[in-house]
Amino acid sequence: MDNDIDFRDLFDNAPCGYLVLDGRGRISRVNVTLRAWLDRGEDEFIGKRLLDLLPVAGRVFYETHFAPLLRMQGYFHEVALDLVRADGTRLAVLANATQKMDVDGLALETRIAVFEATSRRRYERELSDANEAGDVARRQVESLNASLTEVGLLRDEFIAILGHDLRNPLASIGSGMRILSREVLSPRGQQVVGLIEGSVARMGKLINDVLDFTRGRLGGGLLVERRNESDLPAVLEQVVEELKSASGRMIDVDIDLPAPLFVDGGRIGQLVSNLLGNALTHGAEDKAVELIALQEKGDLVISVSNGGEPIPPETMPRLFQPFFRGDATFKREQGLGLGLHISSEIAKAHGGKLSASSSEEKTTFEFRMPTDTIFANPTHD
Amino acid sequence: MSVIKRNNVVTGGEGERTIVFSHGFGCDQNMWRLVAPDFLKDFRTVLFDHVGAGKSDLRSYDPEKYATLHGYADDLVEIGIALGLREATFVGHSVSAMIGVLASLKAPEMFGTLVLVGPSPRYIDDEGYQGGFSRTDIEELLASMADNHMGWSMAMAPAIMGNPDRPELGSELTDNFCRTDPAIAKAFARVTFTSDNRDDLSRVTARTLILQCRDDIIASEAVGEYVRVRVADSKLVMLDATGHCPNLSAPAEVIAAIRDFV
Repeated sequence: MDNDIDFRDLFDNAPCGYLVLDGRGRISRVNVTLRAWLDRGEDEFIGKRLLDLLPVAGRVFYETHFAPLLRMQGYFHEVALDLVRADGTRLAVLANATQKMDVDGLALETRIAVFEATSRRRYERELSDANEAGDVARRQVESLNASLTEVGLLRDEFIAILGHDLRNPLASIGSGMRILSREVLSPRGQQVVGLIEGSVARMGKLINDVLDFTRGRLGGGLLVERRNESDLPAVLEQVVEELKSASGRMIDVDIDLPAPLFVDGGRIGQLVSNLLGNALTHGAEDKAVELIALQEKGDLVISVSNGGEPIPPETMPRLFQPFFRGDATFKREQGLGLGLHISSEIAKAHGGKLSASSSEEKTTFEFRMPTDTIFANPTHD
Repeated sequence: MSVIKRNNVVTGGEGERTIVFSHGFGCDQNMWRLVAPDFLKDFRTVLFDHVGAGKSDLRSYDPEKYATLHGYADDLVEIGIALGLREATFVGHSVSAMIGVLASLKAPEMFGTLVLVGPSPRYIDDEGYQGGFSRTDIEELLASMADNHMGWSMAMAPAIMGNPDRPELGSELTDNFCRTDPAIAKAFARVTFTSDNRDDLSRVTARTLILQCRDDIIASEAVGEYVRVRVADSKLVMLDATGHCPNLSAPAEVIAAIRDFV
């Protein structure tokens, strides 16, 4: 008798909820714990179905998933359910069930143990939400990646067009003109060939500028190959000679440099050519353009100066921006407005800087790079 | 991939007539394991899993195709063509009842007889129509599905993807019974419970048997009656079984009702 009372107490006041369903699936017993959890009297359980304790959505899921599972294997474990309290609020639980069957496999009784799972459910929902947020983020990254790849392909194609598709026919025109210039031509013919050759040279330079800009902006950066340049002064003098003969103007030159220098000689030549070209175009024709290249306090300094109208202070900050043009009126020889930008990029790629100063007296562009990087890589030859 | 493999089509039996069993939302062809064997002696039996369920090919799951029941009905027609079905009997449980209806409209010569177990042409209430659920109920159902798939998804994957051989009834079935990929299950639930095939019912020409359970919270007696009224050549048999799955809870009664009709 004492044992009966003990087991009765064990059933009623167990630390979990208990339900017993008869063969028809109706509740025949419910323990005190579950009655207290759901704040319902015994009469609100007896004769009801388990479904009656579930919200509508839970009923559908139970009927389509757990009822078949219970029927087929005679039990289920760890099923997440919401039970509805008397006041309509819900209790998140995990339920285990076992069936007692007769010899024909028909259910005689179903026993269900119910464990409160409020915190666990909250935690699982948070996990699930985080998972979903992760999925959304992953899809965004994937779509960004896809568009980046597309941009990358476009960029490569653009660079290829500039590099080959525009340059190659121009080279053909150039060599055609050289062949023609060796023929016997009328004075007018000679003049036209000269004009075309000038145009080819100018266009070649424009294409190179756009190519440099595109690579610098969109690709992996401006291509600069530094090595131990044994004769930078010769490179600079060559540039000066070219510009002198093209413009017919005088350039004062003062070069005093040690050798070798760890630079990309071709690129430094390009930088100086851009600066000299600008000085000749924008400077006063009656004032000499001046090139100074020297070593100063361990820095390599190359400066180009011209006289004439100073650069307005408000345009100074924009000088090195791409496609910037000093004055509104278009001059053919002025180009695309990429020269200073590219020169500035060349300076940066050498660990240096291109700066400008302008006064009534003169306008100076100065390239300065520290010499500790000049010999930074002596083995690189 | 062949239709047979994609839908894990399993044929058996020797009869001249063919009977096709189609499972509903929440399970796979295992749903018929207490019913189908009875027909082996005098029918050719066909069982299959809808794509996304059971041992179907999960890689064939195309969210766009299966966004409506027509995607599933097209599969059923493909299976019928592959097996050369004519005037066959189709037995569809739950949402498969409507999938069978759609397939019979697409290929009228394929199925001469339809057996609809717990059919519902629309689950959500509408003006003048009691489907049994509000839109909120269904949204809640879809949200709550994640609660129970939480613990399943990782452990389940090998069971779903793994052994292509069919496990026989026994320990292999335990814990794998009717488990499905959570994401696909959720999409299938959405398709199922937001479907509306009321207008298709009056176009059905096949002989039709409706098996209605008592106390079915998913497809009520009123809904069963609605189907009977609208399908011209139809008969409704009220089962003693309760709940939504008489194929599991009262297989003998289901078998007897089908045999009586075909």
